[in-house]
Amino acid sequence: MNGQPQIQPQSAAGQDDALGGLRKILRITRPDADVELIRRAYDVAASWHQGQTRMSGDPHITHPLAVATILAELAAADQMLCAAMLHDTIQDTPYTFAALSAEFGAEVAALVAGTIALDQVKGGRRRNQSEVLAAVRSADTRVLAIKVADRLHNMRTVEFIAHAKQLRKSRESLDIFAPVASQLRMDTIGAELETVAYATMKRNRHARSASGRLLTAMTALLPPATRTRWCEEWLGELHTLPARRDRASFAIHTMLGLPRLAYTVCNRAPDRRRAG
Amino acid sequence: MKYAVKMTAPVQQVLRAMLEDAAVPRYGLQISKQADLEPGTLYPVMARLEGVGWVESSWENPDLSIKDGRPRRRYYQLTKDGAEQARMALAEISARREKRRSSLSAAQPGPLGAAL
Repeated sequence: MNGQPQIQPQSAAGQDDALGGLRKILRITRPDADVELIRRAYDVAASWHQGQTRMSGDPHITHPLAVATILAELAAADQMLCAAMLHDTIQDTPYTFAALSAEFGAEVAALVAGTIALDQVKGGRRRNQSEVLAAVRSADTRVLAIKVADRLHNMRTVEFIAHAKQLRKSRESLDIFAPVASQLRMDTIGAELETVAYATMKRNRHARSASGRLLTAMTALLPPATRTRWCEEWLGELHTLPARRDRASFAIHTMLGLPRLAYTVCNRAPDRRRAG
Repeated sequence: MKYAVKMTAPVQQVLRAMLEDAAVPRYGLQISKQADLEPGTLYPVMARLEGVGWVESSWENPDLSIKDGRPRRRYYQLTKDGAEQARMALAEISARREKRRSSLSAAQPGPLGAAL
């Protein structure tokens, strides 16, 4: 996507479908909301994210829309709802700050910039807990609220990402986002974050056991593109074995077959040629 | 006839187990029990069968695994073509075995042949 995409509202019916839920909530929480402006933010985001999909296979735009909807339930201001709609455009598409600022104003642009700045602290190489917390303390509360809503929707759809990342996101949700949510008086969101994060960690509990670690480490022998799949498949199998001894035996036997598996996976192409 | 997969003993065991009910998707450990194979033998076989298109695999619906509080499972199923090819290959192997047995008893008449 290089040039400016055509920004035009989709067919009226489709538009109402996509924004219907949000409108309904706004009628209750923010009857005075500038729905036209929010719809424009949606249109811009939808056209820039066109063709991008989430790990779940859904179009990417479903994510900013969900984040904006979570914030609308809390009666957030128009600028926050627009920033939520646009929060991934700068990082994931060629849309620029200048254009965003010109179309939606400096305040919305500043909010989007704030969420990006927080991502950079969190994802930085030298990150440590206190640095992140310091950045969080000094951040604009509206930016924090957007990040919390963003995380809530990501946790609601966490099952679609690799299990190692699921664990990391869950830990982060408990350590950083849930406390921030309660500081901001977003209590129901904080509670939901905790529930989802604990459930995710429990679901992945075998990943941290000796057998799980052995299986995860072993996948280093496999081609990178196939590692996550086998790792997740084996962790799924571990869960069907109630006894620890069975899990250990499963891990060891799987390990013994790994050179063979690596060979097979690497040589898939010739196999296919013979088949054809 | 030459098949896309070398019909080793483990491959035959897997195919026999899966052909018992070709329409049912199963996860690796189920197949490993039904085919009486260790996981270390099973997964390379599954990867090979999937590589040639006899078997396809997919993740289960995440809603189910979330409800049960466990990671999602990977399910394997024979493809239509795979089931057909597998039936043919297994039939050919047992026919060959049968032929060998009968030629053996024909070639060696006498007490040993009669015993067979």
